[in-house]
Amino acid sequence: MSDNLQHDDRLFELLGRQPDEAEPEPERAPSRLKARLYTSLVQQQQESGRLRTLAETRANGHGLCVFEDLWERISSTEAAQSFNCCSVCHARVLAEHLERAPIYWGNCPYVAFGKK
Amino acid sequence: MNQEQPQTCQAEESSAGASELSDRDLVTEVLRKDRKATAEFVARYSDHVYAYVRRRLIPRADLAEDLVQEIFLAAWENLDKFRGDSPLRSWLLGIARHKVEDHYRKRLRELQFQDEDETMRDEPASFGNLEEALAKRQAGQKTQEILKTLPETYSVILLWRYWEKRSLRDIAVQIGRTEKGVERLLARARQQFKKRWYERQSPARR
Repeated sequence: MSDNLQHDDRLFELLGRQPDEAEPEPERAPSRLKARLYTSLVQQQQESGRLRTLAETRANGHGLCVFEDLWERISSTEAAQSFNCCSVCHARVLAEHLERAPIYWGNCPYVAFGKK
Repeated sequence: MNQEQPQTCQAEESSAGASELSDRDLVTEVLRKDRKATAEFVARYSDHVYAYVRRRLIPRADLAEDLVQEIFLAAWENLDKFRGDSPLRSWLLGIARHKVEDHYRKRLRELQFQDEDETMRDEPASFGNLEEALAKRQAGQKTQEILKTLPETYSVILLWRYWEKRSLRDIAVQIGRTEKGVERLLARARQQFKKRWYERQSPARR
């Protein structure tokens, strides 16, 4: 390799070592993407068995959304308690398709994804 | 799972202190299929993974979302292997790095490029203010802008060689080309990058 090429090679190595944090503002993931990630992860979790029940989730210190709260009160079996309420919720659909979807339920993960 | 962690996560500390759950506790909760912990997992790490992938996929940042989804699903499949020896963010970025390299391999195999030796013409006399910018750690943004404008083969080979620090031999083996061929491609990519860097200098500095 000639001296010039070696010099260039060294400069590019330095360029590649520049910390990514040097960027003025690293880009945030779109909330739509976060919503889709969450949905697909929960779907994958369900494929290998039941989700943790809503009662256990609550007992573990997590707040439930109004829909989950209602569902937890009316469902008696463990299978029903493990139901993924988000799968039939309009908030999920909105959040997966709209950036900053107009949903305002407390303890809804899709709302949290839209927050800065 | 990964010998060398991506640059973004070197020397960083666990984010455990910033939130209620430590990395290890969060992983335990996600493995128990706690939906709220899963939501926190996404909320806590998706920005880091997305930013890393987007920068590495220039100029095909449009593919970043699908790749990030693949990374999180791969993370879920392997989450039981997380031992907590390194921060969860580093572990995730390790998976991201593998996925990005898979992408590079695939793209360089798909995209056509010439193996023949070409005469380098119109090479700018100097690399302008690059060394100065490097010293001041101000090269990042301009570099990203230039990478966006390069043909994809050039940006992929530059990112793979210098940002992911892969040797020419490794790259050549992975894409089924000769080391010499990859070296020539890299030289052309550097030349194009330099040319654009030089063109973007303010007239006063030329």
